[in-house]
Amino acid sequence: MENVLFFIPGLIASSMVAAAIAVLYSLVLPGIERKVQARIQQRIGPPILTPGFWSVLKFGYKKPVEPNAQMPGLYRSLVYFGIGIVVLLFLFTTPYWWAVLGWGSILGIAGLLKLEEVLYVLMGSQSQSFLSAGMPVPDLAKGSKHVEKRREYVEQHSAERALKMMAIGSLPLYVALLVPFAMARSTMIRSVVAMQNPAYALSSEWWSAALPSNPVLFTFPGILAAIVYFVGYVMLLNEKPFSILKAKIDVIEGGVLEYASKLRACYYIMRNVLLFALSSIFVTLFIGIPFDPFMPAMMLLNMALSLLLPVMLSVLVAFSPILTFRQIYPAAIGLSAVGTLALIISLGV
Amino acid sequence: MASGEKRVEIEKELSFGPVHPALIEPYRIRLFVNDEIVEDCELNINMAYRGIEKLFDGLPVERALLIAERVCGICSHVHAWNAVRVIEGGLKIEVPDRANYIRVITHEMQRIASHLILFGHAFEVVGHETFAMRSFLLRESFMDLISYVGGNRVMPSVPIVGGVRPRADLTESLKRVILERVDEFEEKYKAYVTRIIEDPLVMSRLTGIGFLTKEDAIKFHATGPTGRASGWDYDLRTKMDEYKPFDFNVVTDESCDTKARIVVRALEIFESLKIIRQAVKNLPDGPVVNRSWKPGEMDFTTALLETYRGELMHSYALDSQGKIRNYKIRTPTPTNLAAMEHACVGDHVTEAILTIASCDPCLTCCTRAEVVDSGKSFVLSDLEIVRKYGWRK
Repeated sequence: MENVLFFIPGLIASSMVAAAIAVLYSLVLPGIERKVQARIQQRIGPPILTPGFWSVLKFGYKKPVEPNAQMPGLYRSLVYFGIGIVVLLFLFTTPYWWAVLGWGSILGIAGLLKLEEVLYVLMGSQSQSFLSAGMPVPDLAKGSKHVEKRREYVEQHSAERALKMMAIGSLPLYVALLVPFAMARSTMIRSVVAMQNPAYALSSEWWSAALPSNPVLFTFPGILAAIVYFVGYVMLLNEKPFSILKAKIDVIEGGVLEYASKLRACYYIMRNVLLFALSSIFVTLFIGIPFDPFMPAMMLLNMALSLLLPVMLSVLVAFSPILTFRQIYPAAIGLSAVGTLALIISLGV
Repeated sequence: MASGEKRVEIEKELSFGPVHPALIEPYRIRLFVNDEIVEDCELNINMAYRGIEKLFDGLPVERALLIAERVCGICSHVHAWNAVRVIEGGLKIEVPDRANYIRVITHEMQRIASHLILFGHAFEVVGHETFAMRSFLLRESFMDLISYVGGNRVMPSVPIVGGVRPRADLTESLKRVILERVDEFEEKYKAYVTRIIEDPLVMSRLTGIGFLTKEDAIKFHATGPTGRASGWDYDLRTKMDEYKPFDFNVVTDESCDTKARIVVRALEIFESLKIIRQAVKNLPDGPVVNRSWKPGEMDFTTALLETYRGELMHSYALDSQGKIRNYKIRTPTPTNLAAMEHACVGDHVTEAILTIASCDPCLTCCTRAEVVDSGKSFVLSDLEIVRKYGWRK
């Protein structure tokens, strides 16, 4: 990697291969999620490719519908930004990017995740579907005690919830993310992987599969952090029990309600890649097996182990109700405390 | 403002419906909130005016019964039964005991199916799909049994004036099937209820929200399990002649919250199973219908019945040719509306909708021509209906 002339084409090739594989693989994950949930619920469930791959393809061919957002151009562009953010988030954790301007570090990961969270606030504040305040109903003044109150779109209410989740809901994930870096005494992903998997750092054969000798996951603070990471992962993906900003019973889909046809397809890609990227980051940071597009065995190992979190997520979703802020605040505070404990212990290890 | 009265500042209004993916019927919920806390609530119905009472006018009783059964797709039997109870009361028609037992059996089977629909809906609202689907799966046992008795899952058409249809008579083998299915169901249902009660996440969503005190329940005329979950020991079945042969308990709960409304219904299912077992085992011999009656003039007569959601009223008169005049129906939901609006104040937005769902509303059934406004009940004239629903022209 010393030679820039070789490094830049390698970076581009690595990024293209990694991004293509990540997008395609992520389209299979929703099918696996739905299948697991269905089996728990004693149903057959949809074919594996239908919820991810075929639905994205189908929405890609639907007739475009113009959103009724306050700034439709901005609203549309947010989903493309989202795809960019999650793809970059994933790429920053692949080995070629570890040497680029320090992006392959906790700062790169945390910064992009925060940006991803901000997107939901922006989407919610823009969207104005006809399903709430925009609905033409004839009974506004009939006997009401409150006739001149500000009427808010459900998506805007979802944006307020997204803001609260940004402030406290995502805290556990960031605390848990710190633990492997604290154990490696470094902010760089390279050091975290090298600490767990020295064989990988020394390996030069493209076909080899270097297995970790000292995974963070098998240490006491690592286990605590992994649990907190998993719950934080669920919170960041806005899945049950932490799906309050897209609770179907009130705010419906939240800020993404008005994404239809191609935009809906893009939203699904964004969500699925995020699902895979966070799982892949977990495997890289807690087990020490990075997604290396130029070492197929390592890449396949990373992809196989990345199924762990989505499957656990499906089980959790099948058995969980949606929690409200009455339960989310104590849960987030408690998990952050557990994460902080793991961090303190890891600093002492 | 009187001294000591709490001033409520309302920040904004959130409205849901009448078109909303989570509302299974066309109604509108207006929540007046501060941040996430509901300070006031309005439920607006009358989005789907059907004019079903008007359809009855001038029909012979037998034809009217078919319409009565179609007032609601969940409580079909209870509307058909109460419709015949009006004429049976008004013209003093004797009903054979065997017919009454079969009516009660169908009624309790449908009560179980109705309560399981509520669990399905409530757990959908809670967001717990597995419990919701499990509830619908359990319900299938009783949908099958209803179809074995009446020949149809949703509209079994069991009661007729003077008894039940001969096809709904229970044979010995059907009695055995019912008892076997009831035993099987009870075992699975116990496991289901235990799982719900032992699930801390679900319980945390249900407990401590949607308070409706006994005084408020009585003040707002909450009826059925909604009132009983506030500790109000009132069940019309204890006063009905048809239920006198059966031993059952009126389930009440003093907790007055959303959990209580779910628990009361969950325990009522066990009481219904008890009634079904007694009725099947002690089914009297004899005819299932008394056909020795003639339609004739009848004064305005009212019949009340304890349905799955509360008290149901049907009333009408017959003219000299035996045709129906002035049919009036009051389903349990209109009397529960004010209780629902009151109970969700103080909850979070997401919880408020759960509180409303826990009162088991059936809003399209209650949408006819009668509205309750400021505590006064009045019937709209045709002109008022056009004015009120003018936007539908």
